[in-house]
Amino acid sequence: MEERITKFVAALRAAGVRVSLAESEDAWRAIRHMGVMDRNRFRWALRATLVKDASGLPIFEELFPLYFGVDQPPMMDPQDGMSQEERDMLQQAMDDLAGELQQLLNWLLNGRQPSQEELEELAQQAGIDRATSTSQAERYARRMQRLLHWEQLQELLELLWELLAEQGMDPEKIQQLKERVAQNMEALEKQLEQFAGQAIGEQTVEEYQKRPPSVDELMERPFELLNEEEMRLLRDEVRRLAARLRSHAALRQKRGQDGRLDAKSTIRANLRYGGVPMELHYRTRRLRPKLVTLLDVSTSMRQVTEFFLWLLYELQDQIQKARSFAYIDHLEEVSQDLATLRPDEAMQSITTKLPPGHYNTDFGASLREFEAEHMDAIDFRTTVIVLGDGRNNLQDPALDTFSDLGRRSRRIIWMNPEYPAQWGTGDSDMLEYAPLCNEVYQVRNLAQLAAAVDRMLAD
Amino acid sequence: MAAEVANRFESVPEVREGLKAVNYLADEGIAGVAYLADRLGKPVLIEGPAGTGKTQLAKSIAEMTGARLIRLQCYEGLDESKALYEWEYAKQMLYTQLLRDKLGDVLAGTHSLSDAADRLATEEDVFFSERFLLARPLLRAINSDEPTVLLIDEIDRADAEFEAFLLEVLSDFQVTIPEIGTISARQHPVVFLTSNNTRELSEALKRRCLYIYIDYPSTEEELNIVQLKVPDLSASLARQAVELVHSLRRMDLKKNPSVSETLDWARALVTLNARSLDPETVENTMTVLLKYEADVVRVRRMLQGVGGGDGYGRAHHEIRGRP
Repeated sequence: MEERITKFVAALRAAGVRVSLAESEDAWRAIRHMGVMDRNRFRWALRATLVKDASGLPIFEELFPLYFGVDQPPMMDPQDGMSQEERDMLQQAMDDLAGELQQLLNWLLNGRQPSQEELEELAQQAGIDRATSTSQAERYARRMQRLLHWEQLQELLELLWELLAEQGMDPEKIQQLKERVAQNMEALEKQLEQFAGQAIGEQTVEEYQKRPPSVDELMERPFELLNEEEMRLLRDEVRRLAARLRSHAALRQKRGQDGRLDAKSTIRANLRYGGVPMELHYRTRRLRPKLVTLLDVSTSMRQVTEFFLWLLYELQDQIQKARSFAYIDHLEEVSQDLATLRPDEAMQSITTKLPPGHYNTDFGASLREFEAEHMDAIDFRTTVIVLGDGRNNLQDPALDTFSDLGRRSRRIIWMNPEYPAQWGTGDSDMLEYAPLCNEVYQVRNLAQLAAAVDRMLAD
Repeated sequence: MAAEVANRFESVPEVREGLKAVNYLADEGIAGVAYLADRLGKPVLIEGPAGTGKTQLAKSIAEMTGARLIRLQCYEGLDESKALYEWEYAKQMLYTQLLRDKLGDVLAGTHSLSDAADRLATEEDVFFSERFLLARPLLRAINSDEPTVLLIDEIDRADAEFEAFLLEVLSDFQVTIPEIGTISARQHPVVFLTSNNTRELSEALKRRCLYIYIDYPSTEEELNIVQLKVPDLSASLARQAVELVHSLRRMDLKKNPSVSETLDWARALVTLNARSLDPETVENTMTVLLKYEADVVRVRRMLQGVGGGDGYGRAHHEIRGRP
């Protein structure tokens, strides 16, 4: 049993569940209190002490039955209470009949457990190396049974009983033999299946290391390499991420006191000390940016834009006011879509306004359009966010408009999903835009995007 | 000097029965973890979605064992002075003012300022004694003579620094107050920490705790809970209500309805004397379950059968189909 538990902990670790030494020690203590007799309680004892993360629970549940199986009845000795004479008679009859079934009969009629080596050999012969998943355990158990010639067993046993009766064995003894052998068959069948499951399980422990990447790994993975399923996982993560950013923002708020004494609040707080100023209160500045976002929604930018929108959506309370514009070759105001729809739905609605096609991204023209129609959105408190790759397909980059935008706004933050090495290559005008921005971030993956949004909230 | 770990429970079934007696339906896992927490003297970290009875578990254990429940609600910026102890300045100030004459007597006959300060220093203990100590939840739990259950609620909301501080307190159940000395727990409180998992807790904290994840209950379990807590609701209506809640949880809502909201809803249905879940009743009471306008709109659309062909619609027909 101890060895089992040690192996089980090792398998958990191999599968990516962090189990410290202290925790496995706790598991031992817990088992001492809970006992191993009640399997369910034993499972809970291990579960509460070894797994400390909801993501580890499915792994635990999958591995547990492999190592501790279902309760298996031990094999019984059918020859219990038989005389030496009868035993010899049985042995003789078995030797006469057995043939290929020697081994199997030996186990069943002597009530001897197959040894670990015997089982291993059998499993090898059944080709268990080729198994890839524990769901195949039953199939390999069948194969092991076939190797033991299980299908001939029933017939042979009938013959054996007849032979023994002929030789004058007590019918009661035969009955006892029959019953016990039937129980042993059942037990052996279960043992085989469990052994197959364990063997496959141990084999696939290494496979676990190739299991789907964790959320942390996904956060570091570039957006364009994410598949549908991973996108969905990350979308759930955005909520947690937003909570973290929010607490960052709150901490900044707490520490971001600008040093000016708040006389009113200080007097009020110190009334209880008889007006002796023991607690000083400072003015706090509300750090909530006023945003104007310019979003590139062309096909190559869609994923990063969508994640940006999810983050903004979750962080609405941290933003004073936001106006959003989407562009490909021209500009559309999308504040309304974003205010009323969820980000994924908003994205769809935006795509119907700006259908992706074979026309060219033109930030320059979009900037001119912005200047002509929406310049009122910008004042000295506004933070302008540009989410785009800075590629204009060799059109006019409208740098004069862009620098005008920079002068009128509080600051401009550019978030670009390309490597800095790619900036300025081909049709990229990024190197010309960059000096006009206050801050430029590379946002290839969610981790970088979150960091950039954090800076954006920092004002 | 570790405090005695009192064995409060004899066996797991006893915990289960005891919790049931105080109207908390615990499964084998929950009861087992509570039993282990008692036996091993370890804190329990409870995670899971909001409103699945995490806090209630701690309350029920307290009620069941007749222990005093001390609750520490965590929030951003929670610090030692709010969690452990604080000197009561105002009271110290008041006493100094009132005792001014007495202080004059004490200081009488001193000639120099340093003389006076020395003499005052010998009386310092008066002002830094437990009399002027404002005990916050953690100190109260440690200092208590009667058995206590300490509930540290929503630990994920507190800052990481606070977590580190908590670790120290939870590992040996004693605190050192410079002016007074070390106070050790007279009895080992049962500690529950809850987390909504809005941020990763530190490995160190997790290592010291037993862990249990309380998920939304299955339909049957939730039905049992509803019938236990709202016995006035008819069985068939309760089943319909629970099934609807479950189909809502399968939708991609901004906030899933919790068990406590299911109970609120069940109570609302009783109050309204509802006989069946007809669209009108659902429409009128939906806001008990759903707390975001966007969610309400989505569910309304689903209930009207528009664009809900992917299994949600089926749930709807089941509801309507029942007499």
